[in-house]
This record gives sequence, C-alpha cells and structure tokens, in this order.
Amino acid sequence: MASHGLDYDGCNFFRQRLVLSTLSGKRVKIKNIRSRDDNPGLRDFEASFIRLLDKVTNGSRIEINQTGTVLFYQPGLLNGGSVEHDCNPQRSIGYYLEALLMLAPFMKNSLKATLKGVTNDPVDPTVDLLKSTALPLMKKFGIDGEGFDLKVVKRGMAPGGGGEMANRIVESTRAVLNQFIPDIYIFTDHMKGANSGKSPGFGLTLVAETLSGSFFSAEMSSTPQGQGDPILPEDLGRNCAKLLLEEIHRGGCVDSPNQSLALLLMTLGQQDVSKVLLGPLSPYTIEFLRHIRDFFQIMFKIEVQKPLEDERKGGDKVLMTCVGVGYSNINKTLK
Amino acid sequence: MDGKERKQRKHQQKHSGPKADKKKLRKQGGSTEEDGRKRNPKAFAVQSAVRMAKTFHRAQDIKAKKHHIPLVDRTPLEPPPVVVVVVGPPKVGKSTLIRCLIKNFTRQKLGDICGPVTIVSGKKRRLTFMECNNDINTMIDLAKVADLVLMLIDASFGFEMETFEFLNICQVHGFPRIMGVLTHLDSFKNNKTLRKTKKNLKHRFWTEVYQGAKLFYLSGMVYGEYQIQEVKNLGRFISVMKFRPLVWQTSHPYVLVDRMEDLTDPERVRTEPKCDRTVSLYGYLRGTNLKNKGQVHVPGVGDFQVADVNFLPDPCPLPDAQKKRALNEKERLLYAPMAGVGGVVYDKDAVYIDLPANHVNQQQEEVRPTTELVQSLIDTHATLDVKMAASKVTLFSGSATLDPADIDQQTGEKEGPREKLVWDPNTQRERRVVVFSEEGREEEEEEEEEDDDDDDDDDVDDVSGSSDGEDSDQEEEEKDEDEDEDEDNLSTFLKEARAKSERTEKNGKGSPPPVKKQKLEEKGEVPVFADSDDDLERSQEESEEKGDAGRAGDSGHCSEEDEEASDDDDEDDNDEESDDESVEEEDGAAEAAAEEQMRSESEGEEEQGALRWKDCLQQKASEAFLRQQAAAPNLRKLVYGSVAEAGDSGEDEEEELGGLFRVSRPQKSKKFTANSLDCSRFDPETSHNWDGEEMLNSIRDCFVTGKWEEGQDAATLLKEDEELYGDFEDLETGEVHKGQKEQQDDAENSEEEEEDNDEAEESLVKVDDDELQKNKRMEKKRRLKERFDAEYDDGDATYFDDLKEEMQKQAELNRAEFEDVDDEIRVQYEGFRPGMYVRLEISSLPCEFVNNFDPHYPIILGGLGSSEGNIGYLQVRLKKHRWYERILKTRDPLIMSLGWRRFQTIPLYHIEDHNGRHRLLKYTPEHMHCGASIWGPITPQGTGFLALQSVAGTKANFRIAATGVILDLDKSVTVVKKLKLIGHPYKIFKNTCFIKGMFNTVLEVAKFEGASVRTVSGVRGQIKKALSTPLGAYRATFEDRLLMSDIVFLRSWFPVTVPQLYNPVTSLLLPVGAKDGWAGMRTLGQLKYDLGIRNKPNTDSLYKPVVRGQRHFNRLHIPKELQKALPFKSKPKQQQPKGKTPRDMQRPSVIREPSERKVAALLQALTTVHNHKKKKAHTMQHTKHKEFLQQKEKQEVAKLKRQKEARKKLYRVMGQKDQKKQRSSLKGAPQDD
Repeated sequence: MASHGLDYDGCNFFRQRLVLSTLSGKRVKIKNIRSRDDNPGLRDFEASFIRLLDKVTNGSRIEINQTGTVLFYQPGLLNGGSVEHDCNPQRSIGYYLEALLMLAPFMKNSLKATLKGVTNDPVDPTVDLLKSTALPLMKKFGIDGEGFDLKVVKRGMAPGGGGEMANRIVESTRAVLNQFIPDIYIFTDHMKGANSGKSPGFGLTLVAETLSGSFFSAEMSSTPQGQGDPILPEDLGRNCAKLLLEEIHRGGCVDSPNQSLALLLMTLGQQDVSKVLLGPLSPYTIEFLRHIRDFFQIMFKIEVQKPLEDERKGGDKVLMTCVGVGYSNINKTLK
Repeated sequence: MDGKERKQRKHQQKHSGPKADKKKLRKQGGSTEEDGRKRNPKAFAVQSAVRMAKTFHRAQDIKAKKHHIPLVDRTPLEPPPVVVVVVGPPKVGKSTLIRCLIKNFTRQKLGDICGPVTIVSGKKRRLTFMECNNDINTMIDLAKVADLVLMLIDASFGFEMETFEFLNICQVHGFPRIMGVLTHLDSFKNNKTLRKTKKNLKHRFWTEVYQGAKLFYLSGMVYGEYQIQEVKNLGRFISVMKFRPLVWQTSHPYVLVDRMEDLTDPERVRTEPKCDRTVSLYGYLRGTNLKNKGQVHVPGVGDFQVADVNFLPDPCPLPDAQKKRALNEKERLLYAPMAGVGGVVYDKDAVYIDLPANHVNQQQEEVRPTTELVQSLIDTHATLDVKMAASKVTLFSGSATLDPADIDQQTGEKEGPREKLVWDPNTQRERRVVVFSEEGREEEEEEEEEDDDDDDDDDVDDVSGSSDGEDSDQEEEEKDEDEDEDEDNLSTFLKEARAKSERTEKNGKGSPPPVKKQKLEEKGEVPVFADSDDDLERSQEESEEKGDAGRAGDSGHCSEEDEEASDDDDEDDNDEESDDESVEEEDGAAEAAAEEQMRSESEGEEEQGALRWKDCLQQKASEAFLRQQAAAPNLRKLVYGSVAEAGDSGEDEEEELGGLFRVSRPQKSKKFTANSLDCSRFDPETSHNWDGEEMLNSIRDCFVTGKWEEGQDAATLLKEDEELYGDFEDLETGEVHKGQKEQQDDAENSEEEEEDNDEAEESLVKVDDDELQKNKRMEKKRRLKERFDAEYDDGDATYFDDLKEEMQKQAELNRAEFEDVDDEIRVQYEGFRPGMYVRLEISSLPCEFVNNFDPHYPIILGGLGSSEGNIGYLQVRLKKHRWYERILKTRDPLIMSLGWRRFQTIPLYHIEDHNGRHRLLKYTPEHMHCGASIWGPITPQGTGFLALQSVAGTKANFRIAATGVILDLDKSVTVVKKLKLIGHPYKIFKNTCFIKGMFNTVLEVAKFEGASVRTVSGVRGQIKKALSTPLGAYRATFEDRLLMSDIVFLRSWFPVTVPQLYNPVTSLLLPVGAKDGWAGMRTLGQLKYDLGIRNKPNTDSLYKPVVRGQRHFNRLHIPKELQKALPFKSKPKQQQPKGKTPRDMQRPSVIREPSERKVAALLQALTTVHNHKKKKAHTMQHTKHKEFLQQKEKQEVAKLKRQKEARKKLYRVMGQKDQKKQRSSLKGAPQDD
C-alpha cells in the first residue's frame, strides 16, 4: 500500500521538491546530486535545510547515501512549534524562509522559528523583501493572525560605513523613480556594533504597492567582502530602481520571487476555480508548476494576456487558472 | 312536549342607552380603530423589557438555527445517477422490489439483479439500483456510496438486527437519505393488528432515523410482484427526492463499478495463472473531481495506483432537452452490464454489443462506423518494414545534426507530384495514385487542399472496408506530408501575423492607428498567437496522442491504444507517422525558444519560393518571433511539455521509436539546469534598458499618474469630482454655471496640462453641446448613484446573506471557467468531473479479484486524498456501542471501517488522567468514551469510524462493537501503563536501609536516583544511591524505621508502543460463495479456544486459604531513666498479682474450748434477739412518722386553702375600691372625699 514516490535528478529545485513532498505526503528520491561535480553531493546549506525540515516535522525519514548524491525523503507530519536553527551562511536566511513560509500555514502548532544566519545576500530574496511582499500575499489567502510576522532581530550584513552611504543610495534611487511618481519613501536602516553582524555590506530593498494592496519589490545588496568587484552605492541604488521598474514592467498581482508561493496556495485551496494574474513566469515558477503537477496532479490553465496597443502597462501578463485540490491540514489536532 | 314547542323570543335591539351608543360609534368610526394596536395600545405596550429581550432572543435563535453553513455548489451540470441501495435481511423482497421498480421505469423485466443497474427515470434523473446482501462488508461499503437507501422491513416479523446494524453504519459514515419500506403486510389477517404493527414499526423507525421519516407500505403481492400503483408511487417518491451532500462523499471521488474487463495478456495468464492482472473498471464518477494517475482504494481488495483514466460516452444518457413531459420508449434506457443488459457497451478500443429485442435497430446504425473503425484499428498490425519506412523520417528529424539544409531538402521534395498508396482490394496489392499539387498556391487553397486530403483519406478508408494493416501505413506517409505542410502553413501564417503586428507597432509609434482596424487585426491574430495554447497546442496534442497510439500499435497491443472511439477518422488512421511529428514537437518543448527559432527560420527558407514577396520581412519576423518567444512563449507547452506525456517517468519510453531506436536527444539543457543554483529570483539575462525614455514610457500607465481606463483614471476622477460640485444651474435666473469646459474628447489624453486652461475658459458656453453634456451628466450621476447604492443599499443583507452570495459567485465562476473548453483538455485542468462515465485501468490487481469475481458484491473505487495513501499512527476517540454486549480488550485485533477502508488493526485503549497522563486501559469502559491509538491509514481528522470484532458469517447479536472519530494523525500522546518495582530491605539502620531486588544494575539505579518509594505499610522514602554489591541494590532513606518484613515498591509509568498491524480486509478476493467468511488475525482468547490451550497460571497468582498465625508482641519497655522522670500517675505500677503469704507471715488458727464455745453460742443468740427487737422498733417508728407526716400535710393543705380564700376576699375588696376610685376620678371631683 505504499504510495508511489517520485524520482528526480539533480540538486536544482531542491526546496520545491522537499516542500511539496512534505505537503503532499509523497516520498521523493533525488538522484545524481552534483554527481559529475568535482565536489559531489549535497552542499552544506542543503544539508542545513534538510535539518531544518527535520526539526519542523515529526516522523520524517531522510536517507542520504555515502557521497551525498542520492537523497531519499519520506515526509512526516508537520509539527511546528518553537524551532531554532543555525542556517548555513552559504545561503541567506531567505533561502530557508521561502520554504518555511510555504509550510508554515499547514503546521500542527503555530511555528515560531528563529533562524540565525545571513539576512542579506545577493542571491536569495532577503528577509526584508519577504516581509514586505510575501506576508501581504499570504494575508490575501486568509493566512493571518496575531503572531503572523517576520522580525529581524539582528542583521547579518549591515552597512559598515553607516548612514552616509545609505544617503548615497537613496539619492540615486530617487533620481530614477522620480520620473514616475513623486511620493517615494525610502527608509534608511543601519545597524551598528553587535547588531550589525560580522561582515560589512549594504543593500537596498524597494517595494511598490498597488492600489489593490499587492506588492512588488526589488532589491540589491553589495557583493560580500572579498568576492567580486566592489559596487558603488550610487550604482546599486540606480540598478535596484531599474530592477523595480523591471518588476513593474512584468506586472501582475504577484512579484516574481513570490509567484510560486501564490500558486502553491492556490493549488492547496478549496476545490474551486482560482485565478491569478502574473507577470512572465520565472524559470523557478515554471519548474514549480511541473512539480505541482507531479505531486498534486494539478495543471494550471495558462493564458497570455497581451497589453492593448495604446496601453503602457508593461509587458505581457499571464493569467493562471486552476482548480484547487481541497487540501486539508491533516496535521492539526481535533479537539 | 313537542307539540308545545315554545316560540323563541325575538332579540330586542337597543335603540338608546350606552350599548346603542357604542354600536353607533363602532358603525361610524369603526374602520379607524380596526388596528388593535391603535385601539388598545396598552395591550401592546412593552410590559417588561427583559421579557421582550428574551422573546427577541429566542426568535433570533430559532431563525439562526435554520441556517446551515453555505457551501459552494459544486454539483455538475449533468449529475451522475443517484445510487439507490436496497437493503434488508434475506427473504424480505429486495430483488422483487428492484425488479418492480425497473419494470416501472423502463418497462423491461430483469431476471437476476447482478451488480448495479442504471436506468433513466426521468428527464433530469437517472438511478442506479444496487442490492445489498446480508454480508456486513457489503453493507459497510454500500453505506458509503449510497445516496438513497430503501430499507426493506418484513412487517410480519418486525425489525431484524441487520436493519439496525445498517442504520448504525450509516450514522457513522454520513447519513444518506433513508426510506423505509414495509413488506409482507398481506400476512396480517386482522386489520387492527396490522394498524398497530404499522404504528409501532413507524415510531421505532422514526427514533432511529428522524421524526417523520418516510415509511412506505407495500401492502401485498400480485402474481409475485408488488402492486403496480404502489410501485409507481414509490418510483415517484424516488425520482423527486432531494439529497443532501455528505462530507466524505463530496470530498472524495468514487466510482461504483458497473463493468469490469480483464485486459491481461491471455498468453501470460495461461503461462502464469497467478500473475497480477490488468483490469479496466467502468462506472459513473461521483463525488468530486478525479485526477488522473491518482490513488484509489478498492474496499475489499486494497490500494492501487490508477494507471490510466479515460472518459467514455455515456452509455445511459439523459434524453436531450425536449418539451415533452414523459420519456418516450427509446429514452427509457437500462444499463446493467453485469446483469448482461445494456445494449452496446463502448470501450476505448472495442465495442461490445448485446442484443435485447428493442434496442438493436437504433443503436446499430450509430455504431456502424465506429465498429468498422475499431475493427480496422485492431487489424493494424504494422510489419517491421513498414515501421522502418515510417521511422526513416523520424531518424532525420530527431537526429542531433539537424541543419536547415536537410530540412530544406526534405521539404523540397514535397513540391511536385506526390504519390498516394491505395490498397486495391480487387488486385490485392497496393497502388500508387499520383496526386498533383500546384506550386506556389495560396495558403487558403492549401488549407482547402488539406481538407480535401482528409476527405480523401476518409474515402479511402471507406473503400477499404476490410482495411489491411498496410493500408493505413501508406496513408500515413501521405499524411505525414500533410502534416508537414500543415506546419508550414502554420508557420507562414504566424509570420504573416507577426509581420503585421510589427507593422502596426511601427505605425503605432508614429501616430495611433484607428482603433477599429486594430481590433480586426487582433482578431486575426488571436487563434495563432495571443492565445498561445490554442491551435498550436491542439495540433501538438493530437499528434502526441497519435504518437501514443502508434507506439502501442507497434508492440502489437491493439488494446493499449490510446485512441478514443470518438476521434476523427483521419486521426485514427495516421497514427504511425505522427511519431516523428510528436518527437519533433517534443524537442521543441524541451529546448524551447532557440530551436523553435531555428525551425522557423529554416521553414522560412524553405518557403522562399512561395513567399518571395515577404523576403524583406523574414528577418523581422524571425526577430519578432524570437522576442515573442522570450517574453511569452507558448507557455503551456513550455511548462507542461507535451500534454499527453505520461508523466516524467514515461519520458524515456517516449523517446523510443518503433521499439527499435532511441532518439539521442541532446539533453544538454536539462542536464544544465539539473544541478544549477536553486534560487527563486528571476533575473532576466536580457534586461530592458531602463535608461531610454521609450522603455520608461512603456510602463507609464502602471502608476496612478498614468492613464487608466475610463472611470478609474486618477485624472478623470479628479475632474469628475470637480465637475460634480462646480457645475450647476441656477433655477431662479435660468443661468447655467459651468464648472469647466468639456468639449474636447481628444484632449483627454493630456488633461493635466489643460486643466489650467479650463478654468480660464470658464465663461465659454457652447449651446450645441448642451444635449451632449446633459447626457454625460446623467451618465455620471448614474455612476455615482450606483457607487452609492453599492455602498449603502444592502442594509438588509446580513453576514449570512453576504456569505451565501460569495459562494454563489464562486460557484458561477467554477461553472463558467472551463465551460467552453474541450473535454479532453478540460479533464487535464480540473480532473474528470462527476457525472462522467469513466474507465479506470488498474495494472496490478491480484488474480483472485478476477477469478473470484462475483457481481453481487459491489466494487467501489474510492479516490484517496493527497496523503491518505500513507499509513501512520492515529489517535481516535472511541466508545463501545451500547448494544454490543462485551467490552473490548486492549491488544485484541479489531476490524475498523474508516474512510473507504476496512482493515484489521490492534488498538490500545487509554484514558486521560487528571494530570494529562494517558493511562493504558486493559478494557474499554462500559459506558464512556475512551481514547485509542492505532496504526492505520491516514484519514482526515473528524472522520467517523466503526469497529467490528469479526466480519465473518452472521451472528445473532449486534455486530458493531464500537464507534468513534479520528482526532489526530500522529503519535502525539504517549500511552503509559503502570509499573511497580518491588524490593526488600536487607539491612536496616535507623531510617536508612539497604534495599535489593528492585534493580539489576548500578546504571538502572542511577536512573532512578531521587525517586520516591513506599512500603506496603505506607512508610515513604527516597532512593539515594546505588551500592556496589550486590548489583542493583541501593541505599534509601525513609521517614521511619523499616522492618525486615517490609516490602518496598517503586511506582512508575512505562510507555507502551502501539503495535503496527494494518491488515486490509480482503473479502472480495475470497472465492465466490465464501466472500463473507473473511477471518483475519484471531484474538488470543480465540486462538487458545481454537487450539484447546488452557492457561497455566502463575501459582503465586492463585488464591489460597488465608491462614493467619498468632501474633506476639513484645512488652512495652520503658527505660529506667524515663521512669524516674515520669510523674507517679504515668509511672508503670507494680501490678503483679499477690503471691501466697509466706509461711512465716501466716497466722496460726484458734481452736476454742467447749465452755468457751457455749458462751459464744449464747452470746450469739442474745445478739440475734436484740437485733430482732431493734429492727421491730425501727419499723414501728417508721410507720408512726409516716402517719404524722400525712397528718401534717393535710393540715397544710387546709391552711393554704384558707389563706387563699382570705386573699381572694381581700383582693376583691381592693379591686372594688380601685374601680370606685377610678370612676370617681373620671367623673370629676370626688364627692365623698
């Protein structure tokens, strides 16, 4: 009576697979993880992610072979509760947080996770970004409550130079965005001393809110010390503003890093039709859609909406439509 | 008397007086006071605010009680047949009733009722009848799928246990509609007893179901059938009945199987009779949407993965919408394949025809083409050389070194005369017909040509009625070309469209084109481009499907073919060659934009001859194409690959061609992404240049400062507000004041700048525009009013109404969203809808399922939710059924019915103590809930279950042992049982002693350091530390000194593990006739009983006569020092009994002389006399004194009397005096004194 598991190759979309496996209860086997690589097998941050998953679940079985190239995961039940985790510094907390945000609504107990690690890095969405875009998105799906919040207690990478640099960023950003709209508010937030973490750096997160309360965001942060070319704060501000414009150009109701979250919540919804308008699908989202089909047998109806000729509202939009699976949180206790 | 009938006095009407006045008043102004409230306001005044509040509260309570939580209405447009289950004990008339009902609805007689019987009962309703036999397994299964239960009760006998068992099963699994039917009413001779019995049965039935539940009476049999009128009435009841949705049923898809076909290779069955079977099961899908490749549970068999699901044309369709009331004869359909009825039975690869007398003619005509088609398909056994011929093309197109030149060459061949192979049945050989194609024809013509070709194919097909295998292959060749052309056609079309759009874009930059034209052009574009999953996709799908079919055909399995019988003829025919097509398409899907571009380029080249005039556009077109691909590729294809792809696991198989070659597909892209960085960020490589004004303009409208649709634009809204307040007409003077001028429609684009000007031009009024402006104003007012209404007008709407409306909206959206989508595609999005007739293929059913198949037992396919296929720990709340006569023992196997499943498991019963500890119970409580932990299938919380101790055979007693509900799905509670460890002191100091025998090692003791212990007599103590010898001994201190005879014990709790037994009840696999004999794991008691093993008890546990020895206590010893200190009272006294006086202390006895003796005797006598005299005198004295006392008393009494009289006299005198005095004082001055 074993429910069939799913087999995958390669380490890409590692989180998606494990998260969907946990939610659907289907076991998953990932093979050939960097098998051709000089340094084969799972990386530290992936191992750390698995450990985090193990902490929030109860009764999951994880098997990894000697070289770490094959992972077998049989999900348990999502338990939640108070969890403390030291995230691997190879990836920022956003990496772990994205997955946790997907799992958190379906836990047995409310999740209170304390993640320690790098808050900002150029690869993953930062905590600030997730806080300002993912949380409002989840609220739209009715996931809300008193303790529903993300808090940055300490920054892992903060402006070493202090507020002055922040001003330099702000000015350059403003220069780009003022062409459109005058009411732009940019807050500077710098931390000193113990709260500022160990390595110096700076970053910028820009958030745009639509009239209907959805959020777009873009962000950039300085390259870590000693890696790559240093970046001028002015350039960073300008580029980040351009990224925000790019994001607005894409449009839709959900910005690109959160597309998969929105689609997941739609999939797990009631057995009704739900629709969402997105910008162009990111590769990550496309793979996510495939995975959703594998795990939940849900296919989205994808319609491209072209802007009218006289409209100047950015690029093509994608209207995604699906029928939910009617997922119920089987982890919760009935009193 | 009667003669003297008195005439009654006539009523005298009053003409005056108060009564007459009143009447008059009433006549005049009566109408004004008709309202009671007005006439008598006091009666309606609020007497008590509290009571008023109470009545109001109660009224609201009653109102609110009627509300149900509104649910989204997900019932499909064409609902599946209603499942009518007929239950009852044996010999009660179930089969007869079904037969009568079927006869009533369809005018057909059915012999044996085997399996479900589906009939059309009306214009909107179909019914599926299913008979439930007396096996409890069947009762459980059918209770889960029933919509309506006809519960037959033998009135001459009364209720039987089966009825109550079934009712209790229903209560647990969701209560379907239940209608009681009393039969055998003709056996009552006495009318009174009949009435009485009816009443009794009815009231008992009501207590079980609900008050007022319908109970139907079938009064008697006529020629072995129930009375026609009564059956008709019952039928009417059934066909108008409404059903409430049950939670389990509406959240799970399920199929009540009405047909089963074994698809296993007969050869394999011959060689291995016990091999697993591939079986296809058919039935109407019910409940909710079913996803393909899902997991199902077949109660009585087990869990299975569905290999494939298809939907078939409805074998028992509802009549088309007609304006008639009744059904005509043709529409009264009956479908019961298991009973051998049902006319034509379709499958996706075959058609089975059964020939009942009245169905033959009409059905045959419909079927003829399909059967031929299927026949031709079956005969299509492609030979190897044909496959080779077909796969040649594929090899080219699939090869990695695919260059445009090749394609050019290939496609170049297509110009000029083409050959067409036709099988000539007369000469028994193929003939090659030459087909000329004009060069450089127009696209439209091409399309027509294509259609013609299709037609040709059809013709050919018709001609070659016997249809040899090769025939279709030859057509394939030709079809192949067609397909290519089709593609060419498409690409040219695409290019043209793109070029157009390019042009329009160019134009757009210069000056905005007229809108209408734009629209037109867009229309032209839509099917190809904007709605990208339309044409391209469909062709893709078709080819995919064909590909599947072709492959199946190669391997020689005609039954494996994926083709639908309903597919077009041409599609069926050219399955083989579409292989390559599909592969091409797949490549395209996998490698996305780059290759597509290449292809389009190559295709562009190939058509240079034909489209020379477009030469200049080609470059632009390809560029446009590339850009479009980058921005909005054919998304569905990009995301999901080809649609009919059989999952990711099937990918390898699909690469195989003709079973011979493997396409070495360059999987570079895939491998490349497989191990790349896992990041959700979307940084496009080709970022737009945001420095240019052009790009910035492109998103200008996204901001509130940009231009929006009319009515939402910030500028217009602002303006609107201004207008509303700035624009008015002075009625007195007739002057019209204008807020601002509104003449310019075209100026709306640049309102911001012009707003200033508007105010300057305020005075300017155009009379011509008055009408126009008025209209505009009206429009604006209307809009404003609408907005106002929307905000304030729904004052009556309660929260409940809002919720209902919201649900209604959602339901409409659900209906509308996929309404116009083709079913084939629709099932991929939303799954198979309930109401569809589906065919499910299951690949690994045990052979017993087929071998021991008995249509009298229902086969149910219950769909499972996302994690319901897993097994885990369950926490449940359970209560022994009050009618079950025994209590249940922990660790005795129990058969449970939970969700779709029936399984045996081992429960552990426990109860929560006041401190939250879950204590193991040896037995379930008698009349209380208790918790239980089991190992079983994961089922959502809140699902009810029932438990049985055995499902085998029938027993006299009530069989349902317990019922309950699932609480939790993991091992959240630890069940503990009590453990007492016993030790004995072996050395006792004052309050400390050494205890041994409780533990075995030092380590064990270390674990329990600090634990509290107790002796039997109640002396409490604590474990201190382990001793080195003997092993396991420890030092403990107590609150008092222990005795060597004391027993020390440690109370602790030991966690119990839940046994992992999950044993599905496989009753359907048992041989025919013995299906109700399933026996799983036996209880220990049963096992011992069966094997004749008597328990050999521990001798210590046996009861023995209690012998108590005499207990000796030591003397109380008080130390001397203490004695000294004690006061005398508390000192121990020397209370020894007196011993004999020693000899020296004893006095000698005196012996008298005779004279002395005489003297003594005399003295004695004298004393006696004297004593006597004294006594006598004393008595005398006594009596005299008594007399004296009496005398004295008498005197005393007399004296008292005298005195009393004297006093009386005195008082009277005094009283009189007083009175006199008073009187005189009242009168005034005393005269005497």
